[in-house]
Amino acid sequence: MATINYRTIDIDALDPDSAANFDLSSLAPDVVPVLTADVQTLAGQVRQLLRGGDTEGALRGALENVPYGADQQGKEVHLATVTEILQSIRQSDMSPMLQRIYQSEGGSELLDVLMKYLYKGMSSKQPSSSKNLSPQPTGFSQIQARGGGEGGGQAMSVLLSWHEKLVEIAGPGSIVRVMTDRRTV
Amino acid sequence: MLLLDYQNVLIESLLKDRFSGATPTSIDQVVSDFDGVTFHISTPETKTKLLISISVRCFNELVQYGAQQVLEREYGPYIVSPEQGYDFSVAVDLENLPAEEDARNDLIRRISLLKRNAMAAPFEQAFDEFAKLQEEASKYTSESAPQGVREGGVVRAIHYREEEAIYVKANYDRVTVIFSTIFREETDRIFGKVFLQEFVDARRRAIQNAPQVLFRNDPPLELEGVPGLAQSGSGEIGYITFVLFPRHISMQRREEVISHIQTFRDYFHYHIKASKAYIHSRMRRRTADFLQVLRRARPENEEKERKTATGRTFRVQG
Amino acid sequence: MSQSLRPYLQCVRSTLTAALSLSNFASQASERHNVPEIEAASSPELLLNPLTVSRNENEKVLVEPSVNSVRVSIRIKQADEIENILVHKFTRFLTQRAEAFFVLRRKPVKGYDISFLITNFHTEQMLKHKLVDFIIQFMEEVDKEISEMKLFLNARARFVAESFLTPFD
Repeated sequence: MATINYRTIDIDALDPDSAANFDLSSLAPDVVPVLTADVQTLAGQVRQLLRGGDTEGALRGALENVPYGADQQGKEVHLATVTEILQSIRQSDMSPMLQRIYQSEGGSELLDVLMKYLYKGMSSKQPSSSKNLSPQPTGFSQIQARGGGEGGGQAMSVLLSWHEKLVEIAGPGSIVRVMTDRRTV
Repeated sequence: MLLLDYQNVLIESLLKDRFSGATPTSIDQVVSDFDGVTFHISTPETKTKLLISISVRCFNELVQYGAQQVLEREYGPYIVSPEQGYDFSVAVDLENLPAEEDARNDLIRRISLLKRNAMAAPFEQAFDEFAKLQEEASKYTSESAPQGVREGGVVRAIHYREEEAIYVKANYDRVTVIFSTIFREETDRIFGKVFLQEFVDARRRAIQNAPQVLFRNDPPLELEGVPGLAQSGSGEIGYITFVLFPRHISMQRREEVISHIQTFRDYFHYHIKASKAYIHSRMRRRTADFLQVLRRARPENEEKERKTATGRTFRVQG
Repeated sequence: MSQSLRPYLQCVRSTLTAALSLSNFASQASERHNVPEIEAASSPELLLNPLTVSRNENEKVLVEPSVNSVRVSIRIKQADEIENILVHKFTRFLTQRAEAFFVLRRKPVKGYDISFLITNFHTEQMLKHKLVDFIIQFMEEVDKEISEMKLFLNARARFVAESFLTPFD
């Protein structure tokens, strides 16, 4: 006992009441653990619907069965699925579809989930576009204008236009709900 | 104020003033010029005899390349033994000035070009060498030219500044002038690169007859084997090569070209600094603009005056 | 290029408007103290999910909300070395005057060029929509300014080179 230096003990870590020991998972409702395989099956089903031309059904399916309990990989898979669906829907269809989903039962929850996926999509790194967006260390381009990134930026602009439409329909409250909901996608 | 003057303006104005017949007064002034060169203009013996001395950092090197002959050619009768602490001196007797206006102005011009003339020697030697090589090479075709002619002349190094130097080399079809310049800061280096890129491109784009400019971070091939080349791996030292073609080196253009190319390094650094200053002032203005926008976000503090029943007035805080 | 600029700024605007609902919250760790929780990060339950709005890999905005403060970090587009230098100098100018700016953070968050720290006190003193306006305008102006400075530099370099090389002719 005499060998322990009392001054260096981290009392906050040992204190059961301290904020550092607060169990964050108690803030969110319990999540059901989901296997990655299940996520992939779902992805397959959704793609079927997409190929069949039923984009709204695909979107609904993806948004209703959110794998909150999956691990990192499973969530990535689902994100890819959702992004694929979003990119395949035309500009003109976006607003009416969102309106229909919103009107339907439990619609605002679905739109909140969509908002979560939009933000997650924007925060993820784009490996395919990194080659033409990396800054040149040696030369400098006098002629090249400071335009937006091509290629990978396209996915972002899709997400951005969805975001705009979504805020129009669901309101800024959905953004607040994304920030506060502890169940992250 | 775009191009730098070849002559020293202070000396020129001083001499003009003295020569114009004003009453002689004594002077003792030290005048600085670019590249650490100092002039000393004084009246050591009588008020009518002006002594103008120059001190150049690399004078010994210049003498090696024939500076003495060039200076004798320019200033002949006016040369006196160098003053203490200086490298070269000329003396002018105000009472014995040449009679014609033109001759006097010519004298003023030549004295104020003292720095340029001192540094001109290696260039003139290289140009002469070029002429000789050109003549020799014209006797052969380019393939059969012997090794000595093809390689060109010797590299003349002028260490006119602490860490920077000019190298002049003559070939049979061109004269190469290489400036080695050092950039201490990263920002200077990048600004310098932008400017140099334009120098390199100017020939291609606008001025077809300009000398070719090349730029590298490591010593170019022409400088192989030259002693005293500082090895810097960090890319602080840049080498800027000017390739002067025969049309630039012809007899009638020679003087002008030598004067002009000497001013390159100072011209370059001056413009880098000027653009940096402009960018800074622009950023400062933009920052002030932002501040103004932010102030708009604060609502005005209305001073609310209230009165109590007994008539006492007070202001509500916040 | 500017086609994705408008939705990008619109997205940032709505995200910020949503994030700037701040209320006063005294520190739970030390009594009688009131700190911006996003900076202190002493209690994880007070921190909300961070959101990223990005236009492409080189341009994004990170919004990290908490109960009484929000940290907004912006990454400005820099395509080459000279833009790198200009952005670096410009942000240094601003951060050195951070006291005057109230909401500016002196050091940017790692991976970004400039950061703002907005607390509930700021939202109480200033109009919220004007604050959001300021940040959006800031993003637009900085981009414009950097392009203009670069153009100016190139034009000047061209002029300088040509005027030096013309006497040789």
